Amino acid sequence: MGKRMIPMYQRILNEIETKIRIYPDYADLHNQLGLLLMKEGNPKKAKRHFLKALQLNPKYQEARFNLGFLHIKEKCWEEAEEIFLAESERNGKDGFLQHVLGQCYLRTGRRREAAARIRKALRLHPSYRDCYQDSYQKKGGTRGKEISLAQEAERVLEKICLDYQETHFHNFVGLYLAKQGKFNQAIQELQRAAKRQPGQALFHSNLGTVYYRQGAYDKAIEAFRKALKIDPLCGAGYADLSYVYGLKGQTQKALRYMERAAQLNPRYADLHYNLALLYSDRNRVEDAIAELRKALRVNSNYLFARINLAVLYEDQKNLRAARREYRKVLQVTPEDEHVRSRLENIS
Amino acid sequence: MLKEDFFIHSSVRRILVRSNIDSTKIEFGTVRGVVYFRGLFQLTRVYVYDDDELNRYLKSQDFIRKTLTSFEKKVRELPGVKDVVFQLVNWNKEKGQWRPMESKKKVQGYGQEDDSNVSKDFE
Repeated sequence: MGKRMIPMYQRILNEIETKIRIYPDYADLHNQLGLLLMKEGNPKKAKRHFLKALQLNPKYQEARFNLGFLHIKEKCWEEAEEIFLAESERNGKDGFLQHVLGQCYLRTGRRREAAARIRKALRLHPSYRDCYQDSYQKKGGTRGKEISLAQEAERVLEKICLDYQETHFHNFVGLYLAKQGKFNQAIQELQRAAKRQPGQALFHSNLGTVYYRQGAYDKAIEAFRKALKIDPLCGAGYADLSYVYGLKGQTQKALRYMERAAQLNPRYADLHYNLALLYSDRNRVEDAIAELRKALRVNSNYLFARINLAVLYEDQKNLRAARREYRKVLQVTPEDEHVRSRLENIS
Repeated sequence: MLKEDFFIHSSVRRILVRSNIDSTKIEFGTVRGVVYFRGLFQLTRVYVYDDDELNRYLKSQDFIRKTLTSFEKKVRELPGVKDVVFQLVNWNKEKGQWRPMESKKKVQGYGQEDDSNVSKDFE
C-alpha cells in the first residue's frame, strides 16, 4: 500500500503515467516512474518499471542503479550485490559502488569483505572521508587509517545508500520542473540534492544551470564556482561560468574562464570558437585567428568558424586568405547570401 | 555601439536552453552581429496527447513550428543582432511561415514521426 506523497510529486507521477500510456517504449519514462513509485512507497510497481526500462534499453545504467537501490531498500542483498558487483567490474574507479558493495557484504555477514570494499572506496574517493568523517568516527566506520566496523557501521552505510537515492530523486524532480519552466520549485529540489550531498559537483552544477536559465546570474556563478571547487578539472564548468559572465557583460572574466575551459578541453571545437569570439571582440585578431584554426583542426566542417576566420582575414587585409575561406563556405552552403556578398565585395 | 559577438552568442545559447531545443542537433555561430543556425531543429522531446497518431503528428509539428517562430523572434530581438540566417535541414521558411520539409513524406509515414522529430535523449 502506497504512502501519501507531496502533491507536486503526485502531479509529476500522474503526468509521467499519462506519457507512458502514449509512449510506452520510452525507457527514461519508465525509469522516472519507477523513482516516483519508490518515493510513493510502491516498490513492486517501481520494480516493474525499472525492469521495463532495462528491457527497452539494457545499457541504461541509471535504471540499473535504481533497481539495485530498490533491492537494498527491500533488503534483498544478494540481488543488489549482483547488480552493483557487475557495475563495479565495469567501473572499478567508482568509490561509491564500493560503499554500496560494502553495505551488501555487511548485511550478509561478510564483514572482512565489507571492510575491504570501504577501504577501497575511501582510497578512490578521499572526499567521502570528509563527507562522512563525523559519522564514521562517531559510529565506528573508520578510526585513523584502520577500518573497523562497529555495530553502527551498518546504519552509516545504509544512510549513504539512501542519501544517494534520495539525492538523485530530488535532482531528477528538479530537472523535470526546470524543463517545465518552474524554476523556483526546481531550485528548491536541486538545493535539497546539493544539501544532501554537498561533495558532489553535479548537483551544484545543475543548480547553476537552472539559475542561469532563470536569469539569476549571480546565484548561477556561486553554484558553478562551488561545483568547480569540488571538481577543478571540469572544463565545461569553466565554460558555464564564462557564458554567465558574458551575459553580465564582464568579458574580462568571461575570457579568463573560457581560456581555462579550452585549455582543459582542447578537443572541443566549440570552446575554441567561443574563445575566438572573445578575442575578436577585444580586437586581439591574431589570437582569435589562432583559436579559430584550432577549432577547424578539431572539426574541419565547423562552418561558422570558417566564416569568422574569413572576416578576421579581411580585417587583416589578407584578402586572398579571406576569399579562400569564403569559397570553402559557399561550397557547402551556396545559398548563403551574407557570405556571397562578402566574397563579392573583396573579389 | 554594436554589442559584442560573445554577448550575442551567450544570449543565443541561453535562449536555446530555455526553449528546450536540442542543442546537440543544431550548430550556431555569430559573425559581426549576424547569427547563423545550421542543422536539425528538434526539441528535446514533445509530448502530445491524442489517441489518433496522425493528429498527434500534426499537433507535434504545430508545437515545433510555434517554438521555432518564437525562438526566431527572441533571437532577432537580442541587442546587437543585425540578421539571423537559418540553414535548417528539416524546416524551411516560405512566405514568412515555417514549414516542415518533406512534410508529405512524413505525413504518409506518420507512424514514425516521433523518431524523426523528437529526440529520445531526454535529460
